[in-house]
This record gives sequence, C-alpha cells and structure tokens, in this order.
Amino acid sequence: MRTVLRASLRTHTRRYVAAFVAVMVAVGFVIATNAVGSAAKSGLSAEFERAYRGADLVVGQDYGLDRSQVEPVERAAADQGAAADVIGSAFTTVTHDGTPLGQDTSVSTVSLDPELRRQTVVAGRAPAADGQALVDQRAAKADRIRVGDRLVVGTDGDRRTVTVVGVAKATTYLSADLYVPWSTLSALPDALPDAVVVRTSGDPAATSAALSKVTEEPVRTQGEYVDARVVTLNQGFDAIGILLLLFATVAGFVAVLVIANTFTILFAQRTRDLALLRCVGATRQQVVRSVRVESVAVALLASTLGVVAGVGAGYGIVATVRALSDASTLGPVALSPLWVGGAFVGGVVVTVAAAWLPTRRVVRVSPLAALRPHDADVLSRAGAARVGLGAAVVATGAATLAVAVRTSTLPPLLLGGMVTFTGVLLLGPVLVPALLRVAGRLLGGTGLATRLAAANAVRNPRRSAATTASLLVGVTLATAVLTGMASARGALDDELEVQYPVDVALTGSSTLPDDALDRVGRLDGVDRASLVPGVRAELPGAGVVPVLTPGSGARDLTRDPSTVEPPRLTLLIPGAVATTMTDGIPERLRLTRDGRSVEVATKVVGSEWGSAVLAGPGVVEALGGGATPQALWVRVADGTDTVRLTGELGAVARELGLGVSSTVDSRASIEKQLDVLTWAVLGLLGISVAIALVGIANTVGLSVLERGREHALLRALGLTRGELRRMLAAEGLLLALVAAVLGTVVGVAFGWVGTVSVVTAAVQDVPLVTPWSELAAVVGIAALAGLLACVVPARRAAKVAPAEGLVLD
Amino acid sequence: MTTTTHAPVATAASARDLTKTYGTGAAAVHALDGVDVDLAPGRFTAVMGPSGSGKSTLMHCLAGLDRPTRGTVTVDGVDLTRLDDDRLTRFRRDHLGFVFQAFNLLPMLTARQNILLPLELAGRRVDANVRDDLDTVVSVLGLGDRLEHRPSELSGGQQQRVAIARALVSQASIVFADEPTGNLDSAASAEVLSYLRRSVRELGRTVVMVTHEIDAAAYADDVVVLADGRIRSHLVSPSRAELVSVLAGSTHRDA
Repeated sequence: MRTVLRASLRTHTRRYVAAFVAVMVAVGFVIATNAVGSAAKSGLSAEFERAYRGADLVVGQDYGLDRSQVEPVERAAADQGAAADVIGSAFTTVTHDGTPLGQDTSVSTVSLDPELRRQTVVAGRAPAADGQALVDQRAAKADRIRVGDRLVVGTDGDRRTVTVVGVAKATTYLSADLYVPWSTLSALPDALPDAVVVRTSGDPAATSAALSKVTEEPVRTQGEYVDARVVTLNQGFDAIGILLLLFATVAGFVAVLVIANTFTILFAQRTRDLALLRCVGATRQQVVRSVRVESVAVALLASTLGVVAGVGAGYGIVATVRALSDASTLGPVALSPLWVGGAFVGGVVVTVAAAWLPTRRVVRVSPLAALRPHDADVLSRAGAARVGLGAAVVATGAATLAVAVRTSTLPPLLLGGMVTFTGVLLLGPVLVPALLRVAGRLLGGTGLATRLAAANAVRNPRRSAATTASLLVGVTLATAVLTGMASARGALDDELEVQYPVDVALTGSSTLPDDALDRVGRLDGVDRASLVPGVRAELPGAGVVPVLTPGSGARDLTRDPSTVEPPRLTLLIPGAVATTMTDGIPERLRLTRDGRSVEVATKVVGSEWGSAVLAGPGVVEALGGGATPQALWVRVADGTDTVRLTGELGAVARELGLGVSSTVDSRASIEKQLDVLTWAVLGLLGISVAIALVGIANTVGLSVLERGREHALLRALGLTRGELRRMLAAEGLLLALVAAVLGTVVGVAFGWVGTVSVVTAAVQDVPLVTPWSELAAVVGIAALAGLLACVVPARRAAKVAPAEGLVLD
Repeated sequence: MTTTTHAPVATAASARDLTKTYGTGAAAVHALDGVDVDLAPGRFTAVMGPSGSGKSTLMHCLAGLDRPTRGTVTVDGVDLTRLDDDRLTRFRRDHLGFVFQAFNLLPMLTARQNILLPLELAGRRVDANVRDDLDTVVSVLGLGDRLEHRPSELSGGQQQRVAIARALVSQASIVFADEPTGNLDSAASAEVLSYLRRSVRELGRTVVMVTHEIDAAAYADDVVVLADGRIRSHLVSPSRAELVSVLAGSTHRDA
C-alpha cells in the first residue's frame, strides 16, 4: 500500500491545494497574532522599564496615588538626601497662538532631574526649569509646534504659559502631547499624580522605611513596581489574546468545513480507483488506512507551512510597523512555544478530524464499483430525517434565544446563536438548493450559460450546501456584528443626544456683544447659531450664573430639544454647574437677583451646555424679567473638521470674552471608537471569509475536473470559451450570492436578538436598525469574491481543447 | 484490391495533407500523416481502422474539435484551420452535429432540453419550424414518450438516439459519430445504426462515423480505412467481402 499512498499523494497534490491553504491560513493567523502580540508586549515592557528609569523606589498604587501624599513623600525623600519627582498627568486645554490644540489635550510630566527623565529628546533640549516644556514629536508635527513656541496650558484662572524647549520621541506608555515639570503641572486643579519616583543616594532600604512612615501609599522598589504593572498589562494582553483566539476558532471552524468538503469531493472522484484497489485484493482496513495516512500527511505538511507562514507574517508585520511608525512601540518578537505548538497541533487535529467522516465513507465502496460504468452524477438528496433534525435544532436554538431576550443574559444568547446556526447548517442541503434554484431563475434570463450554471449548482445539494456553509459562517457573523453595532450606535446616538444636546455653547460673563451672533454664524462649518436669552442670578453656593431660557430657535438647533425644556419654575443644573455648588444641591432652592428672589425646583442633568442653568417658564419673570442674550448656541454642520472649527470658535470666543463648551469632539471621538471597533471585528472575520473563498474556488475547481467531459461536449456542441468561463463564474457567483443572502438574513436576525438582549440591559428603548448599505456591501463583496474565486478554475477549464476533454475520464 | 475511386464532384468535408503530431523529436507520434480525403454529401461514411490508426484524430480534426499540426480542413466550403477558437465554436454550433460513444448528454438536462441545446447555444428561437422538425425527428427515432426524462433514466440505446435527434434537429450539415455503438448491445446497436442510415436516406443528411466494428461499417455507404495515420483505402459502396479483405490486410499488417 505504501506505493499506492505515495503515488496517490503525488498525483493528487494539486487537488489538496485548497485544504492546504485553509489550514495554512488558520494556523498562520494564530501564530502571527502571537508574534505581533508578543512584540507589542515586549515593546511595552521595555517602555515600562524606561518610564521609571533611574528610580530606586516608586511610591503609589498601580492606579496612582492621592495628591495629598505627594508633599510628605517629597519632603521625607529630601530628608534622606534622595532625589524625588512626580510622574503625573492632566487633561486640559492647551492653546497655541490662540488656537486650542483640541478639546482635551493630554499633558504629562518631564523630570528636571536628568537621571529620572524618561523622555528621549530628539530636538532642542530637555526642560531645565519650571515653565519649560517638551512637546511630543507626533503632536509637534500635527499641530506645527516648534522649539521656542509659547503655549498656554489650562483654562481660566489656572492658566500657565510654557515655552517649548525640545521635542520628545513618541511613546505609548505614559504618553502625552506635552510634557511639563510637575511644578508646572501641579498648578492645574485636575492634575493627577501617578507615582512618585525616588532616586536614593545611599541605602534604598533605609529610604524606603523612612518613606513608609510618612505615607500610607505602598513604597516599592522599581523592579517590584514595574513587574506589578507589567502583570496588569499582561492580563489585558491575555484578554485580547483570548478574544483573538475566538476569531481563530471561527476561522478554524470554517477551515474544517472546507477541508471536510475537499476530502468528500476527492474521495467521491476516486471511488473507482479505490474500488479497483479492493478488486486487486486490498482489504477495507488497508484502503481506509491508506486514505487516513494521506490526510495525516496533508495535515502535517499544511500545518508546518502554516507555522512558517505565520512566523513569516508575524515578523513581517512587526518589521513593517517598526519601519513605518514614529513610535517604535513594538519590541522583539517572542513566540510562545505554547501558541506555536498549539496552533500546529490544532491544525493537524482539525485536518485529520475533518477528513475522518469522508474517509469513513470510503469503507463502503464495493469492489464492484470499479467495474460499473462511470457514474458521473450521483444526485444526493437530503433525507426527511435531516430536515426533521434540522428543524428541531433550529427550534431549540430559537427557544434558547427567546430565553436570552427575556432574561437579557449573555450565555443563552451565545448558546442559542450557535445551536440555531447549527440547525441552519443541517438544513443547508434543503435550503441551499432551493435558494440556488430561485437565484438561478432570477439570473436565468441573462442567458444559457447562467441557466446551465444554476442547473450545475444544484446537482449535488450536499456539496453546494457544504461550500456555502463555509462562507455562511463569516457572512452571518459579519452582518450580525454590523446590525448589532448599528443598533447599538442608534441607542448610543440617543444617549449622546441627551448628554450633548448642544454642539457648541458660548457663554458670557455678561450680556453678549451685539456682533457675537454675526461673527460666529459666519464661520465655515456652523450650520445654525442662535442667541439664548436669560438673566444673571445668584445660585446658592455657586455665585452668579447665567439663567437661560432657550427660545424656539435655540431649542431647534439642539440634538434633542426636550432636554433643554425645563418644566415651569424648575431649574435644570448641568454637571458643570453642579460640581461648583459647594453647599450641595437641595431639591428646592432660592434664586436671587437685584433683591428679587424665586423658589424653584432643581433637577441635576447629565447634559452639557457650558456653565449655565436652564430655567423653566416663570423663573425669569419672577426675577424681574428683562432677559438679554447670555449665551450663543451653535449647531455644527455634518462632516465638518471639528478640530479646526473648535479652534476658530475658541479664537472668536476669546476676543469676545466668552467661555466655550464644545461637545463635537467628544461625539466624534466616541463615534470613531465605534468605527474602529466595527472595522477591527470585520477585519478579523475577513480571515474566515478568505478561507471560505478558498473553499468556493476549490469546489468549483474540483467540479471542473469532474466535469471535464461534459465541458468538452458543450464546447463541441458550440459553447464558446467565453461562455464556458461565464458559466463557471456564474456558478461561483450563485453559490456566493446564496451564502451571502442566507447569511445576511440569519445575521440580521442574530444582530437584532443580540441587541435586544444585551444592549437593552444597559440602555432603554433600543431602536432595531438595519444598516442597509453595509449589508448590501457585504453581499456585494461576497458575490464579487465568489466570481473572483472562479477565475482560475474557469480559465483552466476553458483552455482544454474539446478533443482533449472528450477522452478525459 | 480496390483503391480509391473517383473523388466526388461536391464534397461535404475534405482534408488536404492533414497531419497531426503529438510530442516532439524522438518521442513524436504521427497520429495523422499527410491525409487527403474527400467525403461526399448525402452519404453515410464509416471511418475504420485498428486502434491507434488515427481514425478518432481524423474525426476530431474534420469536426474542428482539434487543430491539425499541418494541412487544411474544409467543411461546407469553410477552411476550418483559418478560424479562431470562437469562430470555430460557432461553426460547430451552426453546421455540425455530434454523437459520441458515451457521455453524450448533459446529466442535469431532460432529453428534450438536450436535443434543443445546440439551438439554445446558438440563441435560435424554438419556433413552429423547429417544433415540426423536433416532432418528425422524435417520431422517426421513437423517442416520443422519453422526452421529459433525464439521461440517467434512459437506456444506452435511448441515450444515443437522443444524441442523434440533437444532431438532426439542429440541421447539422454533417453529423459526426464517434463509436456510437461502442457501449451498446447488438440489438441497440442495430437500432442506432439504422436510425443513422435512415437520417441519410430519408432526411438527406451527411453522416461520418468512426467505428472499429465491421458490422457497424456495413450500414455505411462508403468506408474510409486508416492505418498508421494514412488512408489505406476509400471504398465506395463496398461489399462485405471487399471490406473484410481490406481490413484483413490492415489488421494483418498491424498484428
């Protein structure tokens, strides 16, 4: 049998290409993930070491330390003759030439002690005194900040002007746009210390003991501290790693479908060879062992190639990122033997397992099969048992999903989703041919080639179902994610509308100047602007604040007008004002103005419209009336460069002496995060879609081999090369289209169920959104990919001369 | 021994210096070696010869299924060697019909769909004329009640008759049949051969049949005998004795 095995492997290598590729991609994906992950991990670990370089001791919890602890620690360190510095950060407004760099710019610390300084200066010099700053090289490039420029850090009374003396190399850990000494940063009220680093002159242990006496915060050696932080970091990485493994599992599952299908087709095509072996005296065991050894050989070879490809891809990605990115946050690749070994073993096990069922069918080949004339077309039909089982499984899954919806819990959702999908796969041999027939009829009008393709596609229902199943997995997950994200985004939009009703609010400390509306309205990107009338009144504990009564013009430009309409004699107090009310917020309070006062009900809201309160009907009247423009609300046009507009509005506001509260940046950044998340998920699912397409190319390719004589006959009867190619392309297109449409229907349903059961738990009244254009794009891409998958097999089929094809077996 | 008699004035198909070589150098095999042949219209010609004599290659070249290494093939006045693949395909579709030994029909189409396939490929409408032709051919071939069956539900003889019907309905000027009875028992063979002969006699078609069976060749009007890629003789209405003696000569030489 060894001769047969070797000859068979040699002969059929080309037919195993798809199985090879499927296993390779899945194994390679896992290993490349580990390579990139390990590089990121080692890179960050190195950055951690560097962030605390020079320090012997680090004071603080993993998440930072209380501000009140800083001074005692510094004093105690000084007593011990040790150098101490604070690592801290703040998010505040940084203004360059009168233009804010953005809504919240990150500012961190740079040590004045060269030994403790963590930044690498790439231009200029390091700060040597309070009021000097380093700018991050990315921020320097983006905001055109040069050495020697002056920046204003902070808002209102807590402003500090700093001079940029140098540019720092970009980093990832503890990175910021601007670095100033702690003495400068600590002037800002919202500066948060992260840790106090201490460089001892003598015995670290003695210093440590002395420090422990003055603070409750933990005092650790630099090594202990870094290790603890790396562990926290690694837990995060491990979580990401497990998440990526989930996608790898999906890819592996698709690979199983492709491999099982490949082996099924291959063994079906070799029925006669195998029967002939039986005829000349091979026992069943010998035949089965031979094909199983064949599958093991394929498994070992494909997994080995997958490891090689994955290692190559991993190193390649890391090298590319390092070459392209300013911030070389990726360290050396450190492949984990567990991952590599696991991926290899997983690849082998998956391949052999996927081949198990098809090889079992080989046993049933009777020796007589070799003697019968070639039976080109075995129409396999789905049995009633399968339909019944499939329907039962779908029903079970649906019931589990119903439980998930009712209880808003995750486990029944995942379980129900998997069970339902399994049921759909079981029903595949019934569903898929039916859909193929419908799709074929819809496309049938376009010509004979399409009609023949439709007839070909339904010839082997099980094979068609298996082929579409692999693509179905990816499409279902992708459309479920898209639908879920669209619904979640709809819910989030509602939330954002309440939280950020006004895009930009300009609030004055007195009546607004007459030209304010005109000057703001002229800015590019301002859709509408409206003055908000009001009075200035004394709010207990918060001083004099603007009390606004938005008119219809102002209300109409908000994202959600109902949030800016207080009931009669009621005050809406936003968080920005509430935090300044030192005496707390009573349920009722008394507003006073020029000796008049009025008692109002209070309502603290999570909305943002600057430092002003909104008053319901009756309040301003009770305070004497005479409302004048106190604020200016702006609606920003869609698609505006919000960073530029915020800058321009800031400039106008400064000239007019107004405070700016802009929510457009926050909104844009939240939406960007959702976009990134969606694309990341789609990109990862792309791996499994790619494997599925290999499967489609494979099925069509193997069918081409099988139907060589048929194609020759068609060519003899007058089918041109182009028409033959078109026929095969149409077959691939039909398979992909049916998988895409079925997957989309199932995926949208899953997306809705998922939204209802998960998002509803967090947000009330989730709208069920159908992202039509995205879904159409998924179907379009799948169809296009199906067409592309057929290019190679179709070309190969069309090259064969009719006379050659007629003698094919 | 009878040699080639006069060439017919009009030819349905002719070949000049037809050569087909497989492989190169020392491994070169001359399947056809400078064949000149003219096939008369309205006649049933059998191409005979032992295995490897080049009879199938000759048919493939005459039918535009394969390209000769050298020489010309003229069918219906058209030089096939000058046509590109698409034109050649359209020529086959519009002028030629085929009956092969096996695998004649597309398994997923019914008998009727298989018969009408060349018309569909040509984009011709199935009008009243075509339906009349179909009725005639189907009744001549006795396929009336089998039209809605798929090939797997038909016997071997029936499958071959469907293939003949396909060639006849498409109004092919020449029907090429490659061992059409190779897979059939003697009763079915006789049936198929007599249908081929009737289509020549009654419908005025031209049939070229490749066969290695002397009984099959006996149904033909003319017989072309090939050996080693060359025409050994072109017999016009040979008697059985004539045929046997020519073939005996060739088989003897090859044996």
